[in-house]
Amino acid sequence: MEKLINFTIDGKDVVAARGETILQVARKNDIYIPTMCYISKTTPCASCRMCVVEAEGVDGFVLSCNTPPTDGVNITTNTVELEAERTNIMKLYDVNHPLECGVCDKSGECDLQNKTLEFGVSQQNFSTREQHRPVMHWGVIDYDPALCIMCEKCTHVCNEVIGDDAIDVQFGGYSSVIVPKGSDTLDCTFCGECTAVCPVGALVGADFKYSANAWELSRVPSTCAHCSAGCSLEYETRHHGINTSSSIQRVKNNFEFTSLCGAGRYGFDFANEGSKDATALSKVVQALKNASAIRFSSLITNEEAHILQLLKEQLNVKLFNEDARQFASFMKAYSSISGKLHHSASLDALKQADAVIVIGSKIATDNPGVRYAMTTASRHNGAKIIYAHPLEDALMQNTITQFMKYEAGSEEGVMALLTHALLKDVEVDEQTRAFLDNLDLGYLEAESNVGDDEILSMTKALKRTQKRVLVVGSDMFAHKQAANIAKLAATIEKYTNFSLLIVPTQVNTLGISLLCDLDKDENIGNVVGYNASGEVIISSLEEADLSVPSLNQQEGSVVSIDNRVLPMNVAVAFDGYCLNDIANACGLAKENTIDYTQEFNEASGFKAVAFDNLENFLSTYGEDVRGYLLDEVVCVSDGVLDEVAELPEFNGTVIYHSNPVLQFNAYTNSSKHLENDTALRGSTQFAQVAKVNDGDRVEVSFGDTSIQRVFKIDTDLKGTIALNPNFDMNLTIDRYKFEKSKIVRVV
Amino acid sequence: MEAFNNRNVADNGYFMVDIEDYPTDGWGKFKRVVKRTFRGELFVGLWVVMREMLRFDIHTIQYPQEKMPIGPRYRAVHEMKRLWESDAERCIGCGLCEKICISDCIRMDTKIDENSRKEVSSYTINLGRCIFCGYCAEVCPELAITHGGEYENGSEQREHFIMYEDMLTPIDKMKAGAQLEFEGFGSITPHEDARVKKTPLAY
Repeated sequence: MEKLINFTIDGKDVVAARGETILQVARKNDIYIPTMCYISKTTPCASCRMCVVEAEGVDGFVLSCNTPPTDGVNITTNTVELEAERTNIMKLYDVNHPLECGVCDKSGECDLQNKTLEFGVSQQNFSTREQHRPVMHWGVIDYDPALCIMCEKCTHVCNEVIGDDAIDVQFGGYSSVIVPKGSDTLDCTFCGECTAVCPVGALVGADFKYSANAWELSRVPSTCAHCSAGCSLEYETRHHGINTSSSIQRVKNNFEFTSLCGAGRYGFDFANEGSKDATALSKVVQALKNASAIRFSSLITNEEAHILQLLKEQLNVKLFNEDARQFASFMKAYSSISGKLHHSASLDALKQADAVIVIGSKIATDNPGVRYAMTTASRHNGAKIIYAHPLEDALMQNTITQFMKYEAGSEEGVMALLTHALLKDVEVDEQTRAFLDNLDLGYLEAESNVGDDEILSMTKALKRTQKRVLVVGSDMFAHKQAANIAKLAATIEKYTNFSLLIVPTQVNTLGISLLCDLDKDENIGNVVGYNASGEVIISSLEEADLSVPSLNQQEGSVVSIDNRVLPMNVAVAFDGYCLNDIANACGLAKENTIDYTQEFNEASGFKAVAFDNLENFLSTYGEDVRGYLLDEVVCVSDGVLDEVAELPEFNGTVIYHSNPVLQFNAYTNSSKHLENDTALRGSTQFAQVAKVNDGDRVEVSFGDTSIQRVFKIDTDLKGTIALNPNFDMNLTIDRYKFEKSKIVRVV
Repeated sequence: MEAFNNRNVADNGYFMVDIEDYPTDGWGKFKRVVKRTFRGELFVGLWVVMREMLRFDIHTIQYPQEKMPIGPRYRAVHEMKRLWESDAERCIGCGLCEKICISDCIRMDTKIDENSRKEVSSYTINLGRCIFCGYCAEVCPELAITHGGEYENGSEQREHFIMYEDMLTPIDKMKAGAQLEFEGFGSITPHEDARVKKTPLAY
């Protein structure tokens, strides 16, 4: 039982939990204390000193942002002296601040502007010689030191939440500036979170700069369409030119509590264009009626998935989506041990965690939301982060406490080793004990290349940790032994205090796996593609027989990694037909797509909530009240752990299907704001083994596929595994991510 | 105000005009026609015209050859001013005119130019919608948009109603120092220089 601290703020009785600061308690109780540098999701920057309060019995002022209250103390937030102190701080902030509000992007939503008016600073009482401070261009971010007020929010967010640790304060009194850390120019993942938190116009997105004012933009709250993290965002739209309809100008997030990666922030320009072409519609409807299967991608909403499922029943066709099918069978195997349908952890649990094991995912690029949550856990709770993967990830270097390298393909063996280590002193049922006792640890360790010393140091690190999360990534879903891996993960979740987070591959893989009854993709003819390949293609991407709206042009919902059903809204108008029109022509009858929202399968945990009743905001105190959480569903747990199969060997030039930073899918690929580098990236060692040089055009053959790529040497990489992007071709989404390949130089 | 509020017309120098009663019968009407015809009233009027013509004291404005002078506060077609110092356009693209416009007829697009400054890439006023309320001129922090005296909006094409180039002070006129400053509402009041507060400079 945690001890609560009773004290008063401005005469009001308030209660603080252990670890809470005066400011946090004040905000919870709706007591206003002005701040300039405070941001809820990081530790206090304590640079502005605006949040000063008076504590009875304490001489001088107390910083409320980083001071915990003591029992019975009386805090006063507003006296003449405090007001004078704060006004003086504002006067100092305003010294030589360029009077360019007329053109500044931040004007209208600027903290400095607001507070200057609030404190009535109408003239400059102090002076100092102004210095020449040119604007710096850091790729997608522009930094204007003249506007910077040195609140340090950006550096705190970059370090404590994102984990890039790419910017730093160069101290120098009045000439302090923000500088890229250890390099001349900014070298980071370009999440743009620093521009989001900047209270003034110092850090702004270069593309958006000077293109619109805050008050002209209409906000459309929605959910990011790029990965399964389901980050909340707001599309800000405005007309462009005189005769055009609105387009998205920029994306903002509730930076006080949530974060957004660069793909969400800058990759918003994937809207599709279409017209009501009746002949194309009838052609597509005809094709659907004659089709033997519909193949679709996971870049669709729950509503679309539900309609496709209904079409399957109506037209008696098969449904192909290998990505979601593999995920569904993985989850089925998981349920067979755990006895419930959904994994137990969430991103919030990850943020609170003090120990995390990540396995089977290049998580920083697969799901930045998970990465940010882990960074938060690491910086704020000192969490032990154990990262197991065949490839070292430079992006995770700052965050992880232990890197456990295993051989590609040996995921099952590693999971078995983990299970064995974590369940050592735990009481388990007979079958599981028998399975654990039968493990040939020597063989597994030798083949997976995970030594017992590594396992030992992991168990040591995990000692005395309470809130633990196991993160299982998308490498596992297409693994030959996926089912057993899922069962092992479920076993760990069942018998230890680990909660489990399974990272879905794509934005709505999870939703589709719950809504659709999918068939194994056979290479048959007469397939209609929906955002996927087929003889007739209905798609929100290029080259379609019928264009349909993309994910920022339709109302619908997706299921995020948190098992939360999240609404998406229309940010850009679409003039053509959508899937509902096609479905209606095929015999279904609903006026709108969102009429299906309350009809989702309750056996999968969905609730009968209408789309218009799905909220999409965070409360003032940061609670996530978006959409709803899927209900916990109990199912039969009759699964038995299978024996660990012989671990495969991956020799020679192995490629790993993995996207570069900020690239996820065809939508991010079509964005003009995101770098789409489709090069095959490998280490110098890989180049030697494959006998290729930097910049060579190569033919990469794996399985029965072969593609052409440019080869680039990446000095951050080691070993003989090269990274093959899959955002541009979508060929490899359903394949096991590691593959033996043949690489031939194309002359 | 007293003089205006006093509605008592009897003792204010008002008097009834001496007008004959209108004839009611046929004979009376006949007599009036004969009288008007032979008294030569027509020539009285013609003589006045003739006299003023000979004196060359003509008050008729020969529109469109001649036009009435327009007061500085007259609100007709907008003008976009240039800076006296650099001849550059004064508009900084702050978007306030677009925001305040109550008939929603101003549209502007801005972008960053090669010198990292805000540049107005397109500025249009739909004069077909404009109600010439003057808010845009009033809100403009730079006195960049003002109302001019140009009230002739006739055209066979709506698109001709306004072109940004037509509103902007021509560069040769600017070079000649012939740009007129707006004196209407929102413009700088006299003695403004004396009222400017200066920043303390310790160095």
